[in-house]
Amino acid sequence: MAHVITQPAPEDSRRRRRAWRGILIGWSFILPNFLGFALFTLVPMLAAFALAFLKWDSYNTPEWVGLENFRRLLRDENFFVALRNTLYYAAGHIPLTLAAALGLAIALDRKLRGVQFFRTAAFFPYITSLVAVAVVWNMLFNPTAGPVNQVLHAFGVDDPPRWVASTDWAMPAVIVTSVWRDMGYYMVLFLAGLQTIPKEYHEAARVDGANSWQRFWRITLPCLRPTTFFVVVMLTIQSFKVLDLIVVMTDGGPGRSTLVLAQLVYREGITKGRFGYSSAIALVLFVIVLTVTVVQFRLNERRSDR
Amino acid sequence: MTALPDAPPAVAPPRSPGRSPGTRSRGPRLVRTALAYVCLLAVALLVLVPFAWMVSSSLKRDNEVLTVPIEWIPREFRWSNFAEIWDRIPMLTYLGNSAFLSVAITVLQVLTGSFAAYGFSKVRFPGRDALFLAYIATIAVPWQAYMVPQYIMMQRAELTDTYWSIILLQAFGAFGVFLMRQYYMSIPDDLCEAARIDGLSEYGIYVRIMLPLSKPALASLALLTFVNTWNDYMGPFIYLTSNDLWTVQLGLRSFVGQYDAEYAMIMTGAVLSVLPILVVFLFGQRYFIRGIATSGLKG
Amino acid sequence: MIASTRAGRVRRFARFAGAAVALTLALTACGRGSDEPASDGAVTLTVAVWNLAKTPEFTALFDAFQRANPGITIKPVDILADDYPDKVTTMLAGGDRTDVITMKNVTDYSRYSNRGQLLDITDLVTPTDTSKLAGLPAFNVSDKYYALPYRQDFWLLYYNKKYFEKAGVAMPEQLTWDEYAKLARSLVHDEGGKKVYGTYHHTWRSVVQAIAAAQTGGDQLGGDYSFFKDQYEMALGLQKDGATLDFGTATSQKSDYRTMFESGATAMLPMGTWYISGILEQKQKGATDVDWALAPMPQRPGATGVTTFGSPTAFAVNKRAVHADAAKKFVRFAAGQGGAEAISKVGVVPALQSPEITKAYFSLKGMPADELSQKAFQPDKVVLEMPVSEHTSDVDTILNEEHELIMVGDKSIDEGIRSMGDRVKSEVLN
Repeated sequence: MAHVITQPAPEDSRRRRRAWRGILIGWSFILPNFLGFALFTLVPMLAAFALAFLKWDSYNTPEWVGLENFRRLLRDENFFVALRNTLYYAAGHIPLTLAAALGLAIALDRKLRGVQFFRTAAFFPYITSLVAVAVVWNMLFNPTAGPVNQVLHAFGVDDPPRWVASTDWAMPAVIVTSVWRDMGYYMVLFLAGLQTIPKEYHEAARVDGANSWQRFWRITLPCLRPTTFFVVVMLTIQSFKVLDLIVVMTDGGPGRSTLVLAQLVYREGITKGRFGYSSAIALVLFVIVLTVTVVQFRLNERRSDR
Repeated sequence: MTALPDAPPAVAPPRSPGRSPGTRSRGPRLVRTALAYVCLLAVALLVLVPFAWMVSSSLKRDNEVLTVPIEWIPREFRWSNFAEIWDRIPMLTYLGNSAFLSVAITVLQVLTGSFAAYGFSKVRFPGRDALFLAYIATIAVPWQAYMVPQYIMMQRAELTDTYWSIILLQAFGAFGVFLMRQYYMSIPDDLCEAARIDGLSEYGIYVRIMLPLSKPALASLALLTFVNTWNDYMGPFIYLTSNDLWTVQLGLRSFVGQYDAEYAMIMTGAVLSVLPILVVFLFGQRYFIRGIATSGLKG
Repeated sequence: MIASTRAGRVRRFARFAGAAVALTLALTACGRGSDEPASDGAVTLTVAVWNLAKTPEFTALFDAFQRANPGITIKPVDILADDYPDKVTTMLAGGDRTDVITMKNVTDYSRYSNRGQLLDITDLVTPTDTSKLAGLPAFNVSDKYYALPYRQDFWLLYYNKKYFEKAGVAMPEQLTWDEYAKLARSLVHDEGGKKVYGTYHHTWRSVVQAIAAAQTGGDQLGGDYSFFKDQYEMALGLQKDGATLDFGTATSQKSDYRTMFESGATAMLPMGTWYISGILEQKQKGATDVDWALAPMPQRPGATGVTTFGSPTAFAVNKRAVHADAAKKFVRFAAGQGGAEAISKVGVVPALQSPEITKAYFSLKGMPADELSQKAFQPDKVVLEMPVSEHTSDVDTILNEEHELIMVGDKSIDEGIRSMGDRVKSEVLN
């Protein structure tokens, strides 16, 4: 190796030896995890890029086709339906979860006896198994005898939506379920954020005669901005990759009213074995998530500069 | 993805001590407290109603589940549902499989994750930060994007329909490394420096100092990983075929599919699938919440 | 200098990657241990089936086979019926080594055989043995066979006698579709606070499409689907009037046709003959008290004779089977006399037809004995549910997707039929 030939000064070589030792030790710590990570996450991730440009069905030999998979995408009705549904889901899931989580956090950010119980309760849906969640909500949303519609009836809604049984209301039903499930998780993030707001701010504002509504808009929200930003980014990523809940709750139906992009990737790739085409869809999904996230970062930076 | 937003601070600065100045009289305060409780109760009820319905249904007869009007309390508690289900489906096998997978993945994740996190936070070497960035970036990539290549790899290695596929895919996630690194960063470097001067090797520092100090974070990571694995549906669904390898989630789903009208029994299964998680959760809920607040990430 | 360290790093990385591969290989070796046959010569044969607990024929077959072959134990791989085609496709693509795969229908058969995922078992098809095997021609793929049928089903109309008596109507000897629709509407009523539908159309596309093809002579692989139109109008009309459970509810609540009929939620049910075994078993268990009988499928106006559609069910050997010989033995057994006797005892129509077996079938306890039911059992013409060609599975996927869209009202009948044709022409036939 080069450094043997250059015959460095002793001081230099000691430093270099130390650097090598650092590398060795550092890598020895990282290696066990890195092996698995590289092999089972990094490599497949890079492979996915290459696959998108291949025509490869599970049972024949791969063949380079350039942009053919993407051209096919533009002709695929299902792709556009899935894209629209994914955006629909994101547009419902992100703001509603954000509002619910923030509301819960503010409601539970007080020193009351037993508040811990309520926090636990709000968090519990998040750790409940998805299959159980889907089964329970599917029954709650049963169009004829389900509790949801019975409650609506009691409130005077004569013709309640048919929820998961109708193409128009299936997506709202999925969104309600996912908001219910996820809000506790983001509530915890907001609670952590709320703890960082110095109490003096609120007291000073109170002395100045601000009511609680004004204090929320003028103090709480601005102080929470880093947390809110973080939550929005996480929610966005999570919304675009929704799959499990939809698979167990509606399986994309009725018709294809809840078919989302991630599910299309799954169907084309794993079920139908069209590896190349499904990777092309996956790539589009990835680019969308990336773009949205970058835009969010830009907006955030611009606002921080102000 | 090149960067990740700043995670919310792990340790909240203490609030100014003492109560808020007693500017208000006692009367309205009592009313406000009562009001607060009423609000909280209402919220808790809304959140918990689906659970209540699940438990109540699991103790009914099938034809009493979807009734008009709703009966919240069963006319007669059919505890026998909980005895019967063990004969109907191999629930014990499912529970055992789920437990095995969850424990195996949790152990691997915690061990390799915390080990790597030490390398990323306390050992300096070139390329470290770039490598860490690669870890972080993968968290933002939807896993569906590389689900197909993963699947091809597993089928080439003939690991489909074995636990290896699930364990290998889930045990080395970036999540554990990230969470543990966040925590280790909050431990002052001076502590390690002092130990180095005392002649402790890096491995010694990790075992003797870092591990004991990071017990809460380890617990957080372990609990989060356990719960995520237990609740995972897609992984087992894609990779496991043999009935004796099925997890609780697969078993429950299959039961629902075959016995669509046995509502009560389905709910019994749902309750049983949630119960172990409830216990784990109540057992370590403060670690859960701290873990999420530390990392802000989902597994 | 910097370059040198970088080169070193790259080399190091290469070494790590090598180690990673070695590790995988080592793990692979552990993972595969279970496939080795046991040393004492006993063979465990794996067979992929669906809804094992609700499909008595599988257990009957397995028991009979194990009695005849003491050295072989059968281990079923139970898969949810709804997921079966997708799951098996995934398994086979993933190199799964399950020995025997049940071919739920000819569509899936053509998919797997075209992909070369099934073992050629033409040698089992010896003319002396299988000339009486109904449905065998459907499995001929350029003069090779990759599966043998053991069961031959066709569709007829199940009905609940109690509801007919209550309404004071008798099931006519032969219905047209218009009469059927009218009857279905008139049979809707309330039973103890629960709605009883006039009929139940399960969510499969065959309920509308295959019967239309069979009775009009239309070609489901042809690319022109206007012959579906009348049937869709009838089905959507019934759904709109609430005479049948709507498609959206049926799919979202994962409704089971068996539950619908056995719990008395519907008065009529067009379904395949395999369901007879299901009812017989449930009645024997005391799980249902439905009083049922059979009628021929309704016909188009002016039709002569009874035309319906049907499909054989078969067993195939996985090309990657661990125990190919034992698997072939099982396939032959199921298609032969032993298998036929075993399944006809539980009420399933075997593919192997012989006078003794037919007699045994009709003397089963619990079979409806009235004349109409007997007549329903002898349709004049049974058309194959879906023609077999290399396009079958791709066309099936498209027809299925569009069927759902029409049934949930996302597309009008004309729109749906048009896009079926367009998509089949551009995506499959091109």
